[in-house]
Amino acid sequence: MTSDPVVLIDGRELELSPGERLNAIQAAERVGIQIPHYCWHPGLTVVGSCRMCLVEVGTRDAATGEISMMPKLIPGCNTPVRDGMVIVTNSEKVQQARAMVEEDLLLRHPIDCPICDKAGECLLQDYHFQYGRDERRADIRPFTSRRRDIGDVTLFVDRCVMCSRCVRFCREISGTNELMVVNRGAHEEIDVAPGFPLANNLSGNVVDLCPVGALGDKDFLYRQRVWYMRRHMGVCTGCATGCSIWVEENQDRIYRLKPRENPQVNRWWICNEGRYGYPHVHHDQRLAQPLRRDGQVPVDLDWTALPAELLERLRSAGRLAAVLSPYLSVEEAYLLATLVRGIDREARLVLGPVPVVGEDERFPNGFIISSEKCPNRRGVEEIIARFENGRITALDHFLPELADGQIAGVWFSGGYKNANWIEEEKARPLAAVKLLVVQDLFPSAISALATYELPAAAFAERDGSYVNRNDHLQSVRWAIRPPHGVRPEGTLYWEMLGRSGLYNAREVLREIAAEIPYFHAAGAGVPDVGLNLKVNSLAERT
Amino acid sequence: MADYEPVLLANIHKEGSHRLAVYEAGGGYRTLRRVLQERSPAGVIEVIRASNLRGRGGAGFPTGLKWSFLPADHPGPFYMCVNADESEPGTFCNRVQMELDPHQVIEGIILSCYATRANTAYIYLRYEYPLALERLETALAECRDKGYLGKNILGHDFSLDIHVHRGAGAYICGEETGLIESLEGKRAWPRIKPPFPAVEGLFRKPTVVNNVETLTCVLHILDRGADWFKSIGTPSDPKNPRDPGSYGPKLYGISGHVERPGLVELPLGVPCRELIEEHAGGLRQGRRAKAVVPGGLSTGVMTESELDIPLDFSGPLRVGCLGLGTAGVIVLDETYSMIDFLHNSCRFFAHESCGQCTPCREGTHWAVAMLQRIKAGRGRLKDLDLLLEIADNIGIIPGTTICGLADGAAWPIKTTLRKFREEFVDHIKQTNPGGYTAQSPPPAMALVHK
Amino acid sequence: MPTTERVLSDPIRTAIQAYYPRYPNRRAVLLPALHVVHEHLGHVPQQAVVEIAEMLELAPADVLDTLSFYGFFKQVEPMGRLRVWVCRSISCAACGGEDLLEYLCRRLGIRPGETTADGRVTLEFAECLGACEHAPAMLAGDTLYKKLTKEKIDDFLASLPS
Repeated sequence: MTSDPVVLIDGRELELSPGERLNAIQAAERVGIQIPHYCWHPGLTVVGSCRMCLVEVGTRDAATGEISMMPKLIPGCNTPVRDGMVIVTNSEKVQQARAMVEEDLLLRHPIDCPICDKAGECLLQDYHFQYGRDERRADIRPFTSRRRDIGDVTLFVDRCVMCSRCVRFCREISGTNELMVVNRGAHEEIDVAPGFPLANNLSGNVVDLCPVGALGDKDFLYRQRVWYMRRHMGVCTGCATGCSIWVEENQDRIYRLKPRENPQVNRWWICNEGRYGYPHVHHDQRLAQPLRRDGQVPVDLDWTALPAELLERLRSAGRLAAVLSPYLSVEEAYLLATLVRGIDREARLVLGPVPVVGEDERFPNGFIISSEKCPNRRGVEEIIARFENGRITALDHFLPELADGQIAGVWFSGGYKNANWIEEEKARPLAAVKLLVVQDLFPSAISALATYELPAAAFAERDGSYVNRNDHLQSVRWAIRPPHGVRPEGTLYWEMLGRSGLYNAREVLREIAAEIPYFHAAGAGVPDVGLNLKVNSLAERT
Repeated sequence: MADYEPVLLANIHKEGSHRLAVYEAGGGYRTLRRVLQERSPAGVIEVIRASNLRGRGGAGFPTGLKWSFLPADHPGPFYMCVNADESEPGTFCNRVQMELDPHQVIEGIILSCYATRANTAYIYLRYEYPLALERLETALAECRDKGYLGKNILGHDFSLDIHVHRGAGAYICGEETGLIESLEGKRAWPRIKPPFPAVEGLFRKPTVVNNVETLTCVLHILDRGADWFKSIGTPSDPKNPRDPGSYGPKLYGISGHVERPGLVELPLGVPCRELIEEHAGGLRQGRRAKAVVPGGLSTGVMTESELDIPLDFSGPLRVGCLGLGTAGVIVLDETYSMIDFLHNSCRFFAHESCGQCTPCREGTHWAVAMLQRIKAGRGRLKDLDLLLEIADNIGIIPGTTICGLADGAAWPIKTTLRKFREEFVDHIKQTNPGGYTAQSPPPAMALVHK
Repeated sequence: MPTTERVLSDPIRTAIQAYYPRYPNRRAVLLPALHVVHEHLGHVPQQAVVEIAEMLELAPADVLDTLSFYGFFKQVEPMGRLRVWVCRSISCAACGGEDLLEYLCRRLGIRPGETTADGRVTLEFAECLGACEHAPAMLAGDTLYKKLTKEKIDDFLASLPS
């Protein structure tokens, strides 16, 4: 008597959880078998048109164990696995079918590999080596290799294998319907209607979806070969949705951000703002040198002695305040708050300006681009609330308090992604502060007032955790080393707190989880896709 | 064979056969009245099942069985799609029925919609039949005026509207789900199955797609009975319990190199030779038959020595053809080049391939490219092996494509190359003496520097 | 959105709207709408695509996707006053249809798909007109020409209004 459904794949058994619905491709992956496919994607409707995922399917008699296979090949993408199903992916028939599809796709495909961005991450290449024939048998030549500007991305028309993923994306996910197939049969091409180019905030995803080099990212085009890049898990800091990403870099230079699959946050997608939200990291206007202003004269400083100097100045200043930026990670916010409260037990902790642009943008499939353009307001608020007994003060409400001169020292943490991000008159109240430490990425009206100007780390240069609009916490490690003059926030606070060894964000998070109930669920470790603090805490209480 | 009295073509020679008055004078719509009065929809399905009526559109699927797939409890609406896209080369029987006896078609549709609980029917009519369009539209207007269509037909709790939906010249719209996609306003890319149209069809509702001739058979079965239907044609093989037999009358179209091309109605199972000799006047100019297509181009070819097979649903299979198809017989005499035949066929399927799935889109294109090269005198013997390899591997039969167009593309290749290989070998050797033995394509640079 | 003169006149729009009650959604009206426009204007220009899309609540890309699938609808220029289809499928080809198509091309001075300079005739090849018993066959407008010969073609051309 079986309880859970069992599927047999190439002789390996897979037990399915009851109620779990997988197709043959997903089931095979569970047992370590890759079924090649172009057109199927878990986030899009199933069309079964590429025919690369063809497998043999049969049933195993529960009583006798006898296996009977169906005579014809079946696409794995459209085959929901059931109890007693037998799937064969390594038979002669399946191999021949794959070789046929590969050969078919290469009949008219321009062999642009030397000049194609996709080389190294191209399914057509990969499957050719794994499943293709080793000789060309067709006369069909020469190849055309046309390039077409279709809006947000560029299209190399003749490389397309007609998987239709991009068209389905525009219909089902972005709901914008810009892409279409034109003509019939072997003359089919992808195109846009004249005057209606591909132009939506999710458009970059079609490049990820394209299994070959037909769709090219205009930002990334010809900039880097993929095999030179390393990729690191990260989180987009563009808005409060907090999409999981891959940061792809070569020698500490980011070339590309790609979405990382996260069923609970962004699924497979990322918006364009997030995708292309990294140039500021390598901008030449970025603050690169810690300095002190003696009067009007800036004095370049050295990081060796600087932490001690800062501590001394803070201790001797008097009343303190810290402005915690919503760009700080949870750990960094906690350490800064601890640091400042450690020196002045009544130090004010204030929430830095939260950039809001327009309204949330919602897409038909549920993807939301948040109007809140920072990654961690939620997490920073909880830290502040902890230290201030629930009181969260916004910077706007705090600034008038500076007028009476009581607060002598303010630590301002920033991380805002462009220069001059705040109006001069908004920043002016800070001029009254005798000791103003500003830690930011770019020069601004605030950094101009700073006593100490400290270059901040960019998102890809720090370790830490962020909490998104849905109370979902994700932890990341640094992907690139910062420019020479930058000491990342976490490292600096850790050092100034006198903790020994290197800054260890995981350790800090465990402390936070133990101390602040909101973060409790993160104490046992955070998986790669993060975890939802609300859901997990509700689960604990029941 | 005893003289067979046509039933499907009974009216076509009458003056004004397409008019309602003429149709009714001959007993038209009497069956509709009786069935609405005496039978339930389920009862009608039972009669059709009992008759073993098989679809006349090409696939030969038992109609009663197809209708039984409709879900019993579904809020609806249910749809009927009449497949009048008739585009299989060699086929023209639906055209004649719609032009000369549209009311027979309509009565068949109404009865079938009654059985399948469809309240809206669309006749997907190919663009190239303007006379059929005119005749059908006029006939439908007559029916609406008379109360055979509309709300509460003839006072019964059954309402139906029939609309003609005009195609735009694509063969793939004759495929069930290709037709449905086209009707929905999209490109006619057939759908993966499951789900099948009976469960999720037009506008994602339960739908039955039936051929014009099939629906006229429904009418006559309900008129004269399932037993009458089964008294005609080839009985099922007693040794094979799964054989539904080949019952009923069939419209056979004969074209090509015969004296009297045309349409004739005969019981299923007439030997092909008899059809050609006795009903089409034999070959023109006293010539011999060289190759004969039994049921529309997709079914492939037979040689002269294979012409004694019966033209029913199983006969052509015995000589390696795809099946009876649409019973559109095409006769080619000894003067016709099989290279031209195969080139014409491959060109047709490459032109009509919807392009959705890889093996068909690329395979048909490759095949016609090879045939062009062979015709142009640059063929290689290796090409014949490649063509057979393509043909043996594309289609729903091996499971490598979404629909049967690929099988239709493959069968002419398979049958022609296997039955007429000599002719191809001779042609290739004679036209490309220097290059016919090459095993692989010329090097790329040789083509570039041509 | 380009602001150009509307090409779908009121009669065209009314004709398209007449199809709405037949279908449960607007998208299904697309093929009938394309036929209506093509009959009235002789082609479906880009502006018409945009207007059809508006009427049927579709994206222009959706309209073009369907339109271009068929190869039936002219897009750039109006077709000639008479559209002549000569069948090239197997029964007609076996009875000399392709040679007759070539003959017609020579007589008209155009290739299949093209329109004569005076706008009288658009010549097309057709895949199986379904008139195989009358091979070689030709569909000119709504009239079927049967058992075509060079002489019949000459007569046909002579009969065309100038």
